[in-house]
Amino acid sequence: MSSLLSRYAENVFWMARYFERAESLARVLETQTSFQRGRGGDNSWAWIVALYSDEKTFAKAFPEPTAANVIRFYMAHLENPGSIQSAIRAARENARALRPMMPTDMWYQLNDFYNRLFAFGPSDFSEMRLSRTCDAIKRGCYAQVGVAENTLYHDETWPFFRLGLYVERADQMSRLLDVRFAQQQTGVARDSGEFDYTFWGILLRAASAYHAYRRVSPHHIDPQGVARFLIFDSKLPRSLSYCLGEIQAMIELLRRNFALSHAAAAASQVEAMISGLEVANKDEKLLSRLHDFNDWTQLSLMNFTEELSQAFFGYPRPAERPAPPVLGKSETQMASA
Amino acid sequence: MATITALKNPATVAPLDSYNSGHYYCELIGSRDERNHNLTALWHRLQQLELEQLRERSEDAERELFTLGITFTVYSDRTAIDRILPFDVIPRVITATDWRKIDRGVKQRIKALNLFLWDVYHDRKILKDGVVPADLVLGNENYRPEMVGYDPPCKTYIHIGGTDIIRDPRGDFLVLEDNGRTPSGVSYVVENRHLMQRAFPDLMQGFAIESVSEYGSQLADKLMEVAPAGIVSPQVVLLSPGVFNSAYFEHVFLAREIGIPLVEGRDLFVENDCVFMKTVSGPKPVHVIYRRLNDDFMDPEVFNPESLLGVKGIMRAVRKGTVTLANAIGTGVADDKAVYAYLPRIIRYYLNEDPIIPNVHTHICREADALQYTLENLDKLVVKPVGESGGYGICVGPKATKAELDLCRDQLKAKPSNYISQPMIELSVSPTLTDDGVEPRHVDLRPFAVTGEDTWLLPGGLTRVALRKGSIVVNSSQGGGTKDTWVLKEDFA
Repeated sequence: MSSLLSRYAENVFWMARYFERAESLARVLETQTSFQRGRGGDNSWAWIVALYSDEKTFAKAFPEPTAANVIRFYMAHLENPGSIQSAIRAARENARALRPMMPTDMWYQLNDFYNRLFAFGPSDFSEMRLSRTCDAIKRGCYAQVGVAENTLYHDETWPFFRLGLYVERADQMSRLLDVRFAQQQTGVARDSGEFDYTFWGILLRAASAYHAYRRVSPHHIDPQGVARFLIFDSKLPRSLSYCLGEIQAMIELLRRNFALSHAAAAASQVEAMISGLEVANKDEKLLSRLHDFNDWTQLSLMNFTEELSQAFFGYPRPAERPAPPVLGKSETQMASA
Repeated sequence: MATITALKNPATVAPLDSYNSGHYYCELIGSRDERNHNLTALWHRLQQLELEQLRERSEDAERELFTLGITFTVYSDRTAIDRILPFDVIPRVITATDWRKIDRGVKQRIKALNLFLWDVYHDRKILKDGVVPADLVLGNENYRPEMVGYDPPCKTYIHIGGTDIIRDPRGDFLVLEDNGRTPSGVSYVVENRHLMQRAFPDLMQGFAIESVSEYGSQLADKLMEVAPAGIVSPQVVLLSPGVFNSAYFEHVFLAREIGIPLVEGRDLFVENDCVFMKTVSGPKPVHVIYRRLNDDFMDPEVFNPESLLGVKGIMRAVRKGTVTLANAIGTGVADDKAVYAYLPRIIRYYLNEDPIIPNVHTHICREADALQYTLENLDKLVVKPVGESGGYGICVGPKATKAELDLCRDQLKAKPSNYISQPMIELSVSPTLTDDGVEPRHVDLRPFAVTGEDTWLLPGGLTRVALRKGSIVVNSSQGGGTKDTWVLKEDFA
């Protein structure tokens, strides 16, 4: 019988989510620098604020969504719980609580990353150097996941780590797929063939999927193809389909190897999402309904997280449920969206 | 070319060139009158290092402590500031002969303290026999009536003890204080050793010193031993106030070394007088709790009703015998300042032995002779009220003004039972790296004893060093640091 503390399971789940979140934020910020390079200096950064539905919090902190302000807001603004520094700090607070379970290598790596991240100064956040800074953050996050893979004891802690990683990755992928919508909302996007070509190419790169897509589809980049690749491809480690497969496998692992049978509700939640994905795969007009699909994905992941919280983290059934201590930003926003 | 390698930079200073420990006992070279030749080899090895090199490696070591997160955390509104406990790279060495004495002396004290606690919470013979004044014990704020008649497994109350020991100018060890509640600092003993092994392998090479890595397994064994009767494979946990506690790093260290879950009060609950922890597979029974939480906070049902850190109903489980707390509730009555003065008599009462390590000579002013002696020597003595802590109300004779001495005399006469007096203590020194080179700094020693059916001592213990020149305050909150503490397996001389 598993004797993993519920609190530890929750901490490990959220720690992984925060690593993944920081990495994804770095990807999104880097995407904008690519847009600027790719399209002769279109320097609207407002769409990033729209993408995360952060308009209100942003307005409280900064008057205008200038490049400098948006970068600051998502890099280093500690009042923004969704900034990269906030995410890594939250990851570290979860890690601190998990420290009794965690290999020293992992803690060492995290402290090192944390200290470097918080040593970044204004020049690292300048538009000139943003790409390099984002890259350092991404590599820091890779190292975090790598050291976990290599040193964490793979008992039932491990599936919770993977669940956190893939739930967040799926959520963030759905946000990346929504960039276009956010840009249209803020009046950045125009529709033209050339624009689309550049846009979807950048999106592929943001998902580290450019070369994989080229291998699968060498001839052309078309919006439909790219979106479907990022959603349905079963071998791309950041696709929605891949993430859901991992989530399902981890729930199975908990049920089979660790006899945690009360994962049943969470398991059926994942099955429902996978069926939903199959339905969407047959939808020829998916691209025109992409925003709604992204909403559905994010809401489903939120429900799944709730199921996990009730099954394993010791949260009571709804109605009397208090807010989780380290609640993900995206979830609260989805709830109000 | 040989001449070039032989040439030494004239500006290079060997670390101990101007070292002078004065009339204090020095842990490296001995007393002024009698040098300790055991450690000559270490002296020479230190002398071969250049001061600058010593300093660089010391800085590396401190950086490593920081990245390893071996830190105290100071929280304010928005920030969490991690600070390391300053680490001095020059080890404090204890000879095998000295260690044998400390080992026996601490075990003797722990044994006497446990017998005393059993007696206090059962028949109270020692009070009835008038060896220790009953009001001192029963009126003590750390006396817990809830513990009366409770039989802890192995009759052990103090499972983890820390004994603060100092060394006078003649080189004799004295006990300054017993810590029988939740003594801290053991994590630094082990981590300091690891750090030294990485940073100064050359300094350690060839010295046969006792290992400190056994602490976790010894503690695990002892905690298993005191599990409630009939439990085959007891679930042991460490109860911490949580990440905001300044000693959280140590709690983590201990949980890892013992291989047990670190829990907080919110992870536990009591049902049918049994303690459970909340796991991903549901409630799981808990049998032994190494708690790093003061008595007051343990059970809002019995003690501080405001406590959110403890576990409601846990005292019911303790009294039912379904769970063992380490240390037991109510041990504070034995490590109290007033009771300390009686420890030599307590040892004689239960064990019929003289203390192996004496107390700092203490005059109990409620006794006529002691009062008279104290009044006659006020200007030479330190007078302490027994009920106060944190240095409040202390009169340091040699440093007091005439008016202060007069006031002290009046207070003593008005209520002698409220006071003890001691001579000025003089702590030994140990060579320590400072901004002005290697200088003598005062040190104390806290060996750690773990007790189940019997007692085991971690060889060495925590050496705390007062980094400020002339200071004898070794507390980390007041400029204290730590050193690695070596116990020689065999003496050379």
